[in-house]
Amino acid sequence: MLKFKELSKPTQLCVLWIGLMLFLAVFGSFLPFEHWTFVYEDDLGVTPFSPGHILGTDNNGYDLLTSAIAGTRMSIFIAITAVGLGGLIGSALGITAAFVRGKVDLVLSTAFNVGLAIPNLVLALALVSVLASNVDMTVVVPIWRRVMVLIISLTIVLIPILGRIARGATLTWSGREFVTAARSMGMRDSQIIKKHIVPNVLPALIAVAFLAIGVVIIAEASLSLLGVGIPDGGSWGGMIARGRNDLEYSPHVLYIPVIFLAITVVSTNQIGEVLRNKLDGREAKV
Amino acid sequence: MSSLLSVKNMTVNFDTPRGSLEAVRNVDIEIPAGTSVGIVGESGSGKTVMCRAAMGLLQGSTVSRTGTVVFDGHELTAMTKEQVRELFGSGMAMIFQDPLTALNPVRRIGVQLSEGLRIRLGMSKSDAMARSKELLELVRIPNAAAVLKSFPYQLSGGMRQRVMIAIAIACNPKLLFADEPTTALDVTVQAQILQLLRELREDLKMSMVLVTHDLGVVAGNTDYVAVMYAGEVVEYAPTAKLFADMRMPYTEALLNSIPRVDHKPGTALTVIAGRLPDPTNRPSGCGFAPRCKYVQEKCHKEHPNLKTDPDGHVYRCWFPIGEAL
Amino acid sequence: MAGSGTAHMRNTVDSVLTVRDLTVEFRVAKDKIVKAVSGLSFDVVRGETLAIVGESGCGKTTLARAVLQLPPPNAGEVVLNGTDLTLLPKENLRSARTSMQMIFQDPISSLDPRMTVHQLIDEPLEIWDRGNRAERDERINKLLQSVGLEPELVLNRRSYEFSGGQCQRISIARALALDPRMLICDEPVSALDVSIQAQILNLLLHMKETFGLTMVFISHDLAVVKAISTRVMVMYLGKICEVAPPDVLYAKPAHHYTRALLNSVPIPDPTKQIRTELLQGEPPSPMNPPSGCRFRTRCVGASALCAEQEPQLREVSPGQFVACHHPIV
Repeated sequence: MLKFKELSKPTQLCVLWIGLMLFLAVFGSFLPFEHWTFVYEDDLGVTPFSPGHILGTDNNGYDLLTSAIAGTRMSIFIAITAVGLGGLIGSALGITAAFVRGKVDLVLSTAFNVGLAIPNLVLALALVSVLASNVDMTVVVPIWRRVMVLIISLTIVLIPILGRIARGATLTWSGREFVTAARSMGMRDSQIIKKHIVPNVLPALIAVAFLAIGVVIIAEASLSLLGVGIPDGGSWGGMIARGRNDLEYSPHVLYIPVIFLAITVVSTNQIGEVLRNKLDGREAKV
Repeated sequence: MSSLLSVKNMTVNFDTPRGSLEAVRNVDIEIPAGTSVGIVGESGSGKTVMCRAAMGLLQGSTVSRTGTVVFDGHELTAMTKEQVRELFGSGMAMIFQDPLTALNPVRRIGVQLSEGLRIRLGMSKSDAMARSKELLELVRIPNAAAVLKSFPYQLSGGMRQRVMIAIAIACNPKLLFADEPTTALDVTVQAQILQLLRELREDLKMSMVLVTHDLGVVAGNTDYVAVMYAGEVVEYAPTAKLFADMRMPYTEALLNSIPRVDHKPGTALTVIAGRLPDPTNRPSGCGFAPRCKYVQEKCHKEHPNLKTDPDGHVYRCWFPIGEAL
Repeated sequence: MAGSGTAHMRNTVDSVLTVRDLTVEFRVAKDKIVKAVSGLSFDVVRGETLAIVGESGCGKTTLARAVLQLPPPNAGEVVLNGTDLTLLPKENLRSARTSMQMIFQDPISSLDPRMTVHQLIDEPLEIWDRGNRAERDERINKLLQSVGLEPELVLNRRSYEFSGGQCQRISIARALALDPRMLICDEPVSALDVSIQAQILNLLLHMKETFGLTMVFISHDLAVVKAISTRVMVMYLGKICEVAPPDVLYAKPAHHYTRALLNSVPIPDPTKQIRTELLQGEPPSPMNPPSGCRFRTRCVGASALCAEQEPQLREVSPGQFVACHHPIV
């Protein structure tokens, strides 16, 4: 497997950043800060590196560091859950399609292609606005319901993308002679999938999943910006949405979540890329 | 007889994570003009590296080459990469073991073939296409016009190798390097390709270096044979002489391991036990000593030098076959 | 060739494998059907090594896989030890397959790159629950030793760390793990250097004796087959040309195709080069095979009769069967 020391310097930084983000996502609420919704009424729109507010505050008096940490928790949670679910369902469908072939494959492949043909954002937008809004506009939609709907719609977007990759990889691997060999030894199909197909398809999927995490983080931010994501600064996208109104007077309010988001996406992309190259190298050896 | 290609004292090193790997060491080879020379050895014997290094095809910071290579009066080792590249096509050309990976899968045969003609010889598009068709006919491809419009995957292995040969001979090279050109093919197709190469050599007055692991392939297709083992030439002689009067125990062992149709059925195959020495850690004595059935004390301790018989038969052995101990 | 017929069938009680009228066809496009194997019959008697020889595309690999029901043939019977595999329900087929194992051409692709040698050879034992951990480990060690590998040195390494010859040894050890009665070898040495080919061929001969195996050995090279076979069957475009014991077949081939195949084998002796009667061109498409004898389009001895009538296998000398209207005398 990959050793941290053998990675290039930039990749090491990416791994460290993702580690930090995961740490903040999991333990962020135990850190000795006020809750992120705490309003510092005396410090409105303070610039970064001010005493007491390393990253400054916004014009409502929210501390940007605690907001960003809370946003990390929400953004990372949504991204990992959506990619995890999408990967699980997508790979199950993709592997089944490629292994069973025939009509099952035809139906599933067509479904994937239809899914891919619909623009991601439009699909997510439609789902969120239908599922996460009340008929009575005055009743606020609870935040957990927004989160669930966001996760579900992003998962639906991811299924065909990851499903097709799983299908392609399964087609390649199930054509290898060791699968025929396993059959001739009397192995059951379910065992062949478990022991020979999944372990070989998984590395490729994991590499793509890292890329997908970046895509999902951006998609969540875009939806928030469009007003259907997480409201009130609860995620990076929410922070951007809230901060864009103050761009003229306190630009740092916008920059802080954007920087967090950008570094995270670059890092997941870089890690995904390194993983993929590593796997290609192994493939070349085989 | 003048040499078309002369390799003197060539050593090729690769830097690997496990240390320096000497793939080829102190190799001298002469390719007389108008002849065909076979280079025979097992996988890992350095035969392919030797040819590619001689052509100047090995590049990069991890490879180092010493020695001199003179081709047709040009000292390749003293020339720049660009100058050597000028010699490809009209001077030297190469065909490979796997024609499928050597051809671009998404471009039609005609485009790949005529491209070289247009760049190298400055032909017009239509002239180059017409010449491409001629070349395909020259390599005995039936229905050349249709093949020009095909993609590589639509052709059989034998047809693809013919296309590679057509590309290689497009600019009338003086020397053709054929690196295991028939290893991936059926015996019947192998016989056809070897026949084609023999005929083309006659017609085009071309010299050839035929790299193979099969002594059977060189027997009827070369004038000289060089046997390589562990990065060194261990025997070199005219083909007829080599088969009639083998001096090197390794060559004999290699010959005896070939399954033959001209022997009685049920004749047991003799096996060369063991394997090639680790190229990053070569033994001090003869590299073949641990596998040799004639091995003596001295073979383990001292590395044998090349000896030359009065008739020009060269070998690297302390106790050659046919000499009393 | 092209020949059909069953004159060469021995129908003895000693038959381990009997194949009758086996047909395999694939649909590659709407009305394009590849006729890979067409009504082919043969039997393999206990202790025998039947070599099946032919060019790429003659259907020999398809035939081997159809025998193993991977995938099952379109028509015909495959009787192994008295049971017709084509009639077995899936679960019974699974266990019937264990008495017939296969060695593949590409030694590297037939081993899962993620698995260690120990896992690879343990796999069949695990599927069929043969013994406890200690017994299985002992069996794995024995198998590795019998194929000439040092268990301590190889057990924890993966297939890509080995050379082609060593991978083929691992494949052989794995195939023998379930004590099969029959081994089907599909071009087991054609991806290897000549010097390694001899090692693997000798190993197979040795294994055959030690384990009392019956073998089917598939190759495109008559020379490779010569040392190992007790009966040779030459195939062309999904049909049989000639069946004979090797001493007869190599000395007096009766079919023009057999002779052409023999002449294509390179001989490592500059004084014995044969340059006559080489096959020209390539086999016709199996989607649209020639009428009558399928070999007639490339045959030097073809006549008008060959286009009209399909030759049937007949005995031309004791044990030598040929499907040709004009055999070489």
